[in-house]
Amino acid sequence: MTSENPAPGRGLRAGLPARFARAVGARANGPAGRGRRRLGTIVRISAALALAGGVYASFAPGMAAAEDTSALTPAAQLGKGLFDTSCTTCHGANAQGVPGRGPSLIGVGAASVEFQVSSGRMPMARQEAQAQRKDPFFNEDQTRQLAQYIQELGGGPEIPQGPLTPTGSKEATAEAVARGGQLFRLNCGSCHTAGTGGGALSSGKFAPAIAPASERQIYAAMLTGPQNMPVFGDNQLTPEQKREVIAYVQTMQAQEPGGWGMGKLGPVTEGLAIFLLGMTALVFTSLWIAGKS
Amino acid sequence: MTATTKEHGVPTTAGPGHEDRTRFETMRDGAREDGIEIVHYEPPFPKTGTPAERRLQTIVAGLFLSTGLLATAFVVIYIVWPWEYDRDSLISNLYTPMLGLTLGLALVCTGFGIMIWGKKLIPHEIAIQERHDGPSSEHDRSVTVATLQYLGDEMGLKRRPLLGLSLLAGLAPVGAAVAAPLIGGMIKDPHKNVEGRDDSALMTTAWNTGIRLAREDSSPVRPEDVSVGGQITVFPDIPGGHTNRYADSPTLLIHLRVEDMDRLRENLYGINEGGIWGNFVAYSKICTHAGCPASLYEQQTNRLLCPCHQSQFLITDNAKPIFGPATRRLPMLPITVDDEGFFVAQSDYKVPVGPGFWERP
Amino acid sequence: MRKRAKLDVKSMPATAANAVDERLQVARPLRGLLNKVFPDHWSFLLGEIALFSFIVLLLTGVFLTLFFDPSMKEVTYNGSYLPLRGVHMSAAYESALNISFDVRGGLIMRQMHHWAALLFMASIVIHMFRIFFTGAFRKPRETNWVIGIVLFILGFLAGFTGYSLPDDGLSGTGLRIAHAIILSIPVIGTWTADALFGGEFPGDGSIIPRAYIAHVLLIPGGLLALIGAHLGLVFKQKHTQWPGPGRTNTNVVGERMFPRYVIKQGGFFAIVFGVIALMAGLLSINPIWLFGPYEAAIVSAASQPDWYVMFLDGSTRLMPPWEVRAFGHTLPPLFWPTVVLPGIMFTLAGAYPFIEARRNKDKTVHNLLQRPRDVPDRTALGAMAITFYMVLAISGGNDVVAETFEISLNAMTWAGRILLLLLPPLAYWAARRVCLGLQQHDREVLAHGVETGIIKRMPDGRFVEIHQPLAAPDEHGHTELEYTGWVVPKKMNRIGALAPAIKGFFYPVEEPAAPAKPLAGSSGKELETSGRQQ
Repeated sequence: MTSENPAPGRGLRAGLPARFARAVGARANGPAGRGRRRLGTIVRISAALALAGGVYASFAPGMAAAEDTSALTPAAQLGKGLFDTSCTTCHGANAQGVPGRGPSLIGVGAASVEFQVSSGRMPMARQEAQAQRKDPFFNEDQTRQLAQYIQELGGGPEIPQGPLTPTGSKEATAEAVARGGQLFRLNCGSCHTAGTGGGALSSGKFAPAIAPASERQIYAAMLTGPQNMPVFGDNQLTPEQKREVIAYVQTMQAQEPGGWGMGKLGPVTEGLAIFLLGMTALVFTSLWIAGKS
Repeated sequence: MTATTKEHGVPTTAGPGHEDRTRFETMRDGAREDGIEIVHYEPPFPKTGTPAERRLQTIVAGLFLSTGLLATAFVVIYIVWPWEYDRDSLISNLYTPMLGLTLGLALVCTGFGIMIWGKKLIPHEIAIQERHDGPSSEHDRSVTVATLQYLGDEMGLKRRPLLGLSLLAGLAPVGAAVAAPLIGGMIKDPHKNVEGRDDSALMTTAWNTGIRLAREDSSPVRPEDVSVGGQITVFPDIPGGHTNRYADSPTLLIHLRVEDMDRLRENLYGINEGGIWGNFVAYSKICTHAGCPASLYEQQTNRLLCPCHQSQFLITDNAKPIFGPATRRLPMLPITVDDEGFFVAQSDYKVPVGPGFWERP
Repeated sequence: MRKRAKLDVKSMPATAANAVDERLQVARPLRGLLNKVFPDHWSFLLGEIALFSFIVLLLTGVFLTLFFDPSMKEVTYNGSYLPLRGVHMSAAYESALNISFDVRGGLIMRQMHHWAALLFMASIVIHMFRIFFTGAFRKPRETNWVIGIVLFILGFLAGFTGYSLPDDGLSGTGLRIAHAIILSIPVIGTWTADALFGGEFPGDGSIIPRAYIAHVLLIPGGLLALIGAHLGLVFKQKHTQWPGPGRTNTNVVGERMFPRYVIKQGGFFAIVFGVIALMAGLLSINPIWLFGPYEAAIVSAASQPDWYVMFLDGSTRLMPPWEVRAFGHTLPPLFWPTVVLPGIMFTLAGAYPFIEARRNKDKTVHNLLQRPRDVPDRTALGAMAITFYMVLAISGGNDVVAETFEISLNAMTWAGRILLLLLPPLAYWAARRVCLGLQQHDREVLAHGVETGIIKRMPDGRFVEIHQPLAAPDEHGHTELEYTGWVVPKKMNRIGALAPAIKGFFYPVEEPAAPAKPLAGSSGKELETSGRQQ
């Protein structure tokens, strides 16, 4: 990521980062593309057709072997196979994107692929305001293969090797968590809420709850800024700071001391609870008190 | 109703003994003196020792005993349960729930015990009390009015008008004297110029020409620190710049994509011209509606959303409000890069930041 | 010696009572108090919930003051909650964290205080609905209605100041918006805001101490005084009652205060206290440690006020972006939904008894309640007001609703704007129709009797359902009863013609009675007037 950043200067080399940043999510879902959501059915049918075609293609390897794939590592070659069966409908044959359907994936990097595919957001079931987390379509190995393919195709940010949470003594970890908390509240809480439960954005978009995301997914999300999430490059949040944020997010999932948190949705659920539980119980009690004995 | 009284009125069957009976009658006659007629009085268990009565007695006693047990449990838990906060320990996290559970159930048991006693074991009754509302008697009213009028005569205010006037003139300033320090101590002139500036705090922020844009840890920001499609909250690089002392100064520095920046360049209006640097633009983080940080940056739709009242600002059009209750654009902080390659402010904001107020032009 | 001591003990109450009476002459007033009659109905207990939660608020509040430090002085946290260690924060937030983590049993006290506050406001509102829909605010009780409205406003202020005290992220955001609201007031806005906050937001550190003294002294003082006046007036004017057999405008039918009424109240207090304690232990409320200290650049999504302030947040969110700018002055859009609107709402609510009396040219004293169905206009107005309030309150949480149910946030705002205008008139119309329908059905039953479910075939082949008249035929053979505005039995088992419904949740609490004999004509009258029909 670092190397991809533009040097100070008017838009120097800005073209490439711009391309990979916009490529991450389905840009077509902006205001201009809203009407296309109606095409969802058509897209689903064509996806099914593509899948069927892909299955056929995998039984007939000779057909796809027209391109030169010798430059790819074996893993990437496997990834390409998967890509050609499942992704080309929206992202095009060489991941250069299909206008109105899916963005180009050149330069998005392995991190982005891993985030989108491992969280089940890609392949998308249908065109909608925002891709939803669901059960992943590909298993872990396949995801890595796909990521490898996209990485070798256009480069881009990658998730580093090694642990993704701070290491060290218990005290050091505690300090890291506290620092992560400050970073989280400043940079993440405004959309994902202070309790990591997720919040609404404009026009049907939303910041999802972070709880279901794995360490790698959180890391990848910060690094690549999927969908409408801003990018937090390594110059802004260093890898160490990213680890601290992840540690804090994990702390937030721990048991709370004050009883059930009711989804940590704040005063709205508290207001509901006082009427649905407190008031209701007491009104029933008063019905009983004044009832005929 | 009277029929019921005859049937159930005084308990005559077994149960209350002779003495109780007279006591009941004394009580009833006393109530009558107060305008209260007990028209129906019926012990729930005219015969003592029926199984139903014994069962109720057992239930009530059981509830009271459970109260005792639960309250004891509360005290024991309060004392011996590991209460010190340890986020990894389920036991410690259960301290508050256990306290609530034992105390709550103890109280609920007492409540139901008392209530069943009152509801089921004490004689049912219907009593009628006469209301005596409406105005006082004509006599009382006229006498009171006369008394009040005579009070005026006694004071002689009519005869000696000077007294009343001077009293009024003398006391009014006393009221003001009481109010002055109470209220006056709090009053501050909101339009007083800030030190070193020729405008009030309402109109200015801590930003000024040449002040660097710094992170919350006071480290200055370079253009390469923010990725395309990224944003960073920056504060004026002055002592305490990131603290609440300068609550109107937090600023959002955004790195736009080329085509989005082109659109912004086309749209730049009047005071914002020349305020951007490269593909970077900085807007006040303080919402022009109610002052919350409008910090939900959507990097694809280029909107800034304020989570308090959902005002949405279009970054590519001078942060124009396009949805929600906000009426004003987010002010743009004119920025540039200094010789060392760090972002600095060209000047303070050109318009007051934050929510509107009466004196705002 | 022993005998004497025993005697003393036995006669001690009498001696003490004598001693008191010799000095204070309490015998007669005490008897009056013991015998004072209170009517009995479940809806008369709603106000008690508010009173009891206020007592819980006082008890827990005193505990909290022993540990809370209302200061905005900056400190570095070093307490037990690891994820905030080393963070700079105000002393107020630090002490609030310490209450939660470093004071034994502090967290449950804090949570009880907060839940009790929510319950206090909730029961005030529900109690107010009861008073409104039954017409209990009419002469001579207009004063008490107005006191009730002021109590709501004071409770609102107490709640908001309390919400602001911990100085966490939510508190600060709330204060910032409150500051903006004050700023929006024409002419005096900036002066008032600077006076309260001691300078430009967040001021010179005076707002938290000032909110504190308001929260623990000034507002509770006002609440206590007004609650005293409220109860005193209820006592003096005697409680209203439902119409029914033997109940007139000039009497109270019910139970004497001692022992039954007071025992029930005591039990109910324990239950209210218990419910608060259970909620406080089992349900987390306002976990301040999640929000972090208040910092001007930080906000969490879904930042909401407590529920009783949410209608103002909603009105602010729904407000279109209309700003008046003229002659070098600005009238911000915030002014209308947060200053003008609540002003109108509270004024209208407070003035309602007088408006209604004037409209109906009604100067009589009313001690009998009205069933909502018998005053369709008022019920419809109330339904309209509640709908209006509900749309605002839901809009106050519209981002949470949008997120939870995957609805577009912008669509929620627009839906709120449209429904705010559309739903209240609809609610008015619907409530009115429902009232008239219910009334009509009551009148039908009074005129023709209860449907028996027995179908009879007439000689000419028609089928008719037999109705059981509620009254014995008079000398002209009429069985119609007059409409009195009280419960009309509508099922056969309500008038004893069928076996009564079996009571009890899990097992019958009383043996079902043997099926009654077919109704004797004479029993009709007594059954109709047999009082409470629950």
